[in-house]
Amino acid sequence: MQRFNHYQEEYYPSPLMHVWIEFRRSHIALVGFVVLSVFIFIALFGDLIAPFDPNLQNTNAILLPPSWEANGTIVHVFGTDSLGRDVFSRILHACQVTFGVSILIVIIAAGIGVGLGVLAGLLSGLRSSVINHLFDSIMSVPTLLIAIIIVAILGTGLFNAMLAITLALIPQFVHQTRTFVKTELQKDYVILDKLDGASPMRIFFNSILPGMAELIVVQATLAISIAIIDISALGFLNLGATTGMTELGQMLSQSLDVAYVSPWLVALPGLFIFLMVFSVNVVGEGLRSALRNRLKL
Amino acid sequence: MTPIIEAEEIEYTFTFRPSIFATKNTFHLGPLSFKLYEGETIAIIGNNGSGKSLIAKTLVGAVTPHKGKVALLGSYENHTDKATRTKAIRMIFQHNQSIMNPALSVGSILHLPLSLNTSLGYSARRTKIEQTLLQVGLLPEHYHFYRDMMSDGQQQRVAMARALILDPKIIVADEPFAALDPSVRSQTVNLILQLQKDLGLGFIFISHNLGIVRHISDKVMVMDQGQLVEHGDTQEVFKNPQHPLTSKLVDAHFNLVSKHFETS
Amino acid sequence: MALLEIKNLSLFIKTGTDNVKALDKISLTLNAGEIKALVGESGSGKSLIVRSIIGALPDAWSVKADRITYDGQDLLNMSRDQRRQIMRRDIAVVFQEPTSALDPSVRISSQIQESIPDEFIDKGFFWRRIQQRRQISISLMHKVGIKDHMRYLDSYPHELPPAISQKLMIAMALASEPKILITDDSTRGMESTTKTQILRLLTKLNKTKNLAILFVSHDLLAVTNMAKTVTVLYCGQTVESGKVKSLMRKPLHPYTKALLDSAPSFQVSLPPKSSLIALKGTIPTLQHLPIGCRLGPRCPNAKKECVVTPIPRKIQDHQYSCHFPLHFPHVKGPDKEVHL
Repeated sequence: MQRFNHYQEEYYPSPLMHVWIEFRRSHIALVGFVVLSVFIFIALFGDLIAPFDPNLQNTNAILLPPSWEANGTIVHVFGTDSLGRDVFSRILHACQVTFGVSILIVIIAAGIGVGLGVLAGLLSGLRSSVINHLFDSIMSVPTLLIAIIIVAILGTGLFNAMLAITLALIPQFVHQTRTFVKTELQKDYVILDKLDGASPMRIFFNSILPGMAELIVVQATLAISIAIIDISALGFLNLGATTGMTELGQMLSQSLDVAYVSPWLVALPGLFIFLMVFSVNVVGEGLRSALRNRLKL
Repeated sequence: MTPIIEAEEIEYTFTFRPSIFATKNTFHLGPLSFKLYEGETIAIIGNNGSGKSLIAKTLVGAVTPHKGKVALLGSYENHTDKATRTKAIRMIFQHNQSIMNPALSVGSILHLPLSLNTSLGYSARRTKIEQTLLQVGLLPEHYHFYRDMMSDGQQQRVAMARALILDPKIIVADEPFAALDPSVRSQTVNLILQLQKDLGLGFIFISHNLGIVRHISDKVMVMDQGQLVEHGDTQEVFKNPQHPLTSKLVDAHFNLVSKHFETS
Repeated sequence: MALLEIKNLSLFIKTGTDNVKALDKISLTLNAGEIKALVGESGSGKSLIVRSIIGALPDAWSVKADRITYDGQDLLNMSRDQRRQIMRRDIAVVFQEPTSALDPSVRISSQIQESIPDEFIDKGFFWRRIQQRRQISISLMHKVGIKDHMRYLDSYPHELPPAISQKLMIAMALASEPKILITDDSTRGMESTTKTQILRLLTKLNKTKNLAILFVSHDLLAVTNMAKTVTVLYCGQTVESGKVKSLMRKPLHPYTKALLDSAPSFQVSLPPKSSLIALKGTIPTLQHLPIGCRLGPRCPNAKKECVVTPIPRKIQDHQYSCHFPLHFPHVKGPDKEVHL
């Protein structure tokens, strides 16, 4: 009795599907998404594509320019550095480290942050405030500064840098999740769940978590771009990845000495950091506006 | 015949300060007693802040009265026992944006009360959900719908389905018609009347719309600042209001209506 | 002489790829000193009309009209400043929710004083001007029936009961001594006593100040108590318009009849607890408007002719847009069963 078939579409997208449909409308966001997919591909299969071992030193080919220069060779697409290592392989490897590590960090930070945030949201009174405001106070300090302090205490190294950045990223997740859970708990449908006899845990997993996925995705894209910059910055300051590993920021700092002779050694890693952060931010912005449009309808 | 729900001398006292320097304000509700029999409808009317919603919340067990007791289906234990109470009394809220969770489909919203309160398996629950959707005038296909795809009237029907799915004896509704458009409102009124006829539901609702109150309720309770100032048979109260507040409300309503008849 | 005249107003809303015709050739005239009601449910476009008149339109909306004139001046083709001048002085709007239309962080006194145009204040030292503003705002409050002005002047909006804040909204609208007052659903969700107060106030203002009122509402009870003429809208189409009396006595359009049927108080002979006559289905959303007569799928009398938009027809002052009007089976309409 209620439905008129000629009004309604045959296809009923779920809210997440709806976000994707909205997201596709923006071309810039789609470009960002393609670039991001390339980086994800590199992070997963970079080792298979790389033509050389990133640490293999070829003394016959030192400071070769990239292949598009007059005296470059196609064997070393991006040329070689001062130790004769293939820059293309090194960049692939470095992207793998920088991007992979950033995502890993964000996943861990999101896990811990969301967990604590939910706890803070479901609890009330003093306990909730303690969790929330403790992390709020950390949030007032820039993440990079916290990371440097932690590295100063624990010593340099990629693992310590990761630890530092993870700790620095957690408060944002805590704060966002707590606010979300708190507002969600006031909603009528949560009261109805309670009247159905649902326990707080049940309410959380059944009613609050499905709506939270979007928030976490958006917050995570923001966090990834912060993580990429922080990892590279620590690498550049020689506080992050050690010499054995390749990392974009570390590549930048190592090639500073020869920047006048072979500028591509500085330009290329910089370009890749830029592309990475750019694509993540564009995708994040696209997601956010897609969410806004969906909610507006 | 025993009443399906009976409130006995329920009482609340709240003290609050608007600011630290202001004097304390006290809100006192009750003592208040009333009975609801099977198939009967009670309407609660009164000004804002008169404690109407508090009564509704007490009945469904969302708050516990400071004094007094509520007997459900003839015993106090039924009302204090969460499982029995949840099944017997269900609540419908005033229609608003947060009445349905936007992230969940109608199906998953309706699964929750069933899985918490019955021992039905997944397929049995699904059959029950589809039956209930038909009962409130929706289609089984609405199982897959999300909030964004439904109109206000349909959302209200989902809320009704959620209340009805546990085969309750009593439905408590807080302003169920206020936010609905006239043509959809009539449908909802008809639906409630029909369900009451078919299932013998007891129905308690809060409303500002005296036209509807007069049309569908058997008894009416008039609240003012936490006190029950008048109660009785609806037609009687409308014809012959005793308390000044009641006569003010009823007169204002009849004035509007009679002017309407003058013009037409 | 029509004070406000709207002829064939269409409003398009861009949603993604398609351009939805949210208002379909609406015509409306408001004479000086007249109370006209604009009746419609949600999605009928009554708020869109109000926004087209005041010119507050988002970028995604575009307006096409043969004319929108105020007192003979074309509102569509005038400069922004001129239009703003008219909106500031001659046309006042009272919006739906008084609680959200008042600034929650500013005292009532300064909100009212802010709405008084500078022209009303004599030149003088600033304390003179402050005093004058205060006096004008107090007299405005008296005008809308708030006698106890001292009690409310220093309050914040959240401390006020809904009836008072609605009256204050009207007072602020009256501050510029407008010729037209547009009230957008101002009696929504009110109790009968409060509603009566507001309606009485509006009627009084109309009589004493010759204020033309466009009363936008879906509350038929309020409309029949106030207005002399009424226009009924459904999904952006004019359904029926004319004198309130003749519309109430003999609605020609099935939708008007359904609206009248929806209020149980209008039917004297209706036994308690009997089911009401209701239209089936729900109001279609903007994306799913049916073609032709938009009531089509919900109409009890719909025939295949209804896929063509009906042209407005007129019997004396009573205008309707329906292929098969009620009560007039002989005008057009091949079947006798049309008559309910």
